Amino acid sequence: MEALLFLILLFPLAGGTLNAVAGMRLPRAISNGLAVSGVIASAVLTVWLWPLAEGDGTRVTLVSWLAAEDLHITFGILFDRLAAPMTLMVTMVSSLIHLYAVGYMKDDPDYARFFALMNFFVFAMLTIVLADNLLFLFLGWEGVGFCSYALIGFWYRERRNADAGRKAFLVTRVGDVFLMVAIVWLCSLVGTVSIPEINSRASGFDPMIVTVLALLLLGGAVGKSAQLPLSTWLPDAMAGPTPVSALIHAATMVTAGVYLLCRMFPLVSLSPTALAVISVVGAGTALYAASCALAQREIKRVLAYSTMSQVGFMFLGVGAGTVVGAMFHLLTHAFFKAVLFMGAGVIIHLMGNENDIFKMGGLRSKNPLLFWSFLAGAVCLAGVPLTSGFFSKDAILVADLALGTPLALVVDAAALAAALLTAIYTFRLVILVFAGSERTPVSHHSVSRVMLWTLPPLAILALFGGAIDLPHLWGGSEVLAHWLDGAAEAAEIPTTLEVEMAIVTFGLVLVGWLLAWRRYRPWHPPSTSIMSSFLLSGWRADRLVELAVLSPFRALTTFFSDGLDGVVIDGGLDRLARACRSGGELLRRMTTGRLSNYLAAMALGLLAILALFAARIWLAS
Amino acid sequence: VIVPFGHVLVFSAILFFLGLWCVLARRNLILILIGVEVMLNGVGLTLVGASALWGVVDGQVFVVFLMALTSAEVSISLAMVVYLKRRKGTLNPDEFDAMKG
Repeated sequence: MEALLFLILLFPLAGGTLNAVAGMRLPRAISNGLAVSGVIASAVLTVWLWPLAEGDGTRVTLVSWLAAEDLHITFGILFDRLAAPMTLMVTMVSSLIHLYAVGYMKDDPDYARFFALMNFFVFAMLTIVLADNLLFLFLGWEGVGFCSYALIGFWYRERRNADAGRKAFLVTRVGDVFLMVAIVWLCSLVGTVSIPEINSRASGFDPMIVTVLALLLLGGAVGKSAQLPLSTWLPDAMAGPTPVSALIHAATMVTAGVYLLCRMFPLVSLSPTALAVISVVGAGTALYAASCALAQREIKRVLAYSTMSQVGFMFLGVGAGTVVGAMFHLLTHAFFKAVLFMGAGVIIHLMGNENDIFKMGGLRSKNPLLFWSFLAGAVCLAGVPLTSGFFSKDAILVADLALGTPLALVVDAAALAAALLTAIYTFRLVILVFAGSERTPVSHHSVSRVMLWTLPPLAILALFGGAIDLPHLWGGSEVLAHWLDGAAEAAEIPTTLEVEMAIVTFGLVLVGWLLAWRRYRPWHPPSTSIMSSFLLSGWRADRLVELAVLSPFRALTTFFSDGLDGVVIDGGLDRLARACRSGGELLRRMTTGRLSNYLAAMALGLLAILALFAARIWLAS
Repeated sequence: VIVPFGHVLVFSAILFFLGLWCVLARRNLILILIGVEVMLNGVGLTLVGASALWGVVDGQVFVVFLMALTSAEVSISLAMVVYLKRRKGTLNPDEFDAMKG
């Protein structure tokens, strides 16, 4: 029974392998079916095996991976109260996205490569979620990185896409280095990389070391989750096919960083400094990304920045010490962001591959089903009361406020500002796309039915996802909090604070909606002010990276290649060779081929020898 | 022996250097070969003189070998001279510079 847990991992792996090996020789329907059924099988299995997560969870080992002296690393799974909901979310959202992808990719000739990579991605993501040791987790971590690289650059014949893939890979790799250092360090401290053992023995570490370790873990999480300062890859990653954006950059991969911090929370929570840094990073990114989203013109880039911003809220949750809040927001965000991304895919399709929201409009009457599904995702994102996003965002904000420190207040203010901006850009997006009149004629090629009909289930999950952790205040019973109680203790939060926060966020949503309505309901052409182009370029983050990192690096490489290698090493060798050659030229002249010269030289040599003898005799006497 | 050994040495040295001078200065292969013979004879004279001085027969044996060797050498050299003369039409050694680097 317990060993069946491995099937959760192996189904997507098998689907991916079959597609990679034989996908192109199979009919399209079978190849697609394999990919989809692999993921759905995992989802079903997760539901079926759910009881195994109760109590302290189930730990199973498949085989030993590395064994040297007293270091044992295994392919092991820890299916506990934290991993189970995450697994369920990943498999469920992936199933729907795979179904959607069947429709999305129905005219693409490279379907086998696409589905193989998607399945490998799910496999790698589930490895992160389920691994019971850090090295196995790291295997998934890198697998996710590779699959996202290959999927973002899926249409690699266009240079822009391939560049975006490389950028994602390299920027996340910067974070991975921190994670790797943390893993090796933990291994040398504890003698094992097993997550439960590290967590249980973390309290024995020097506080300074704990802080550094937590910050290193944060470094890894920041790269994968596109938080400041490693955030530049996410907006460009929208070059990939839309199901990829939905799967990787909304629901799963970017939340891997949050999940890592939750998984290692017993360690991370020991360091107040690290928690403060995490919440500052989270709130900073939330505000930064939300402001960037205000000015974006491509629909998927709006959503990319909003993802960044929402993941920032999750980081804030971890920083505020509420794993429940972070996980709650992670789960609800996965649903509503997936529906938004998939809706965006349908919109782009309907518009004939038009990305610019200023050229859209009037879609509401054209496709009501799309409108209502998209709106459901949007109200969750904006945090309209009684939607899932409202509950999960408030849970985080309240938990942070309840800390009561001055830093928490500042961070909370920033997060509230981000929430206001979120409401504005969300309604701006909805208004520009759906309201008003058509600015570009809607194309008449119909959207595949499977694409359209995967939206409503996700929209319903998004709207009512709040039920999984409905606070007592709203008549719920905090199911998720009780479920996760084994993983972390929820702080006691005064009810008045909760009520006040609900009123404040409701006010913010209302203000945001009013502002967006007044500004965007009457049609204005896009603003071209300096401010908006500054925001459009993401605060010129790419330029900053170029100036601060890439240019010095390039100068350094030029110095080493042209200066050190070209002049010193190659130049030195060249000069040595030239000296040998001219020496040879000189010596060559001695071989004249004339007998008389040789004889004269011989006679001179004889004279020299005689002179030597004479000198020795003279000296001896 | 009535001739003192020092005289023998001086005479053989004179012979050797005369031969050497002939080898160096002449521009004719046959004369160069003759110079070589003169040098060899200078050496042979030293050997004979030394043999007479110490009353050991080795030096004289050596000289007999030297003569046999020289006659063989001369026969080969002269054959080559004939060949070279046919080939280039001259006996000037500086004309044969195919080994020039």
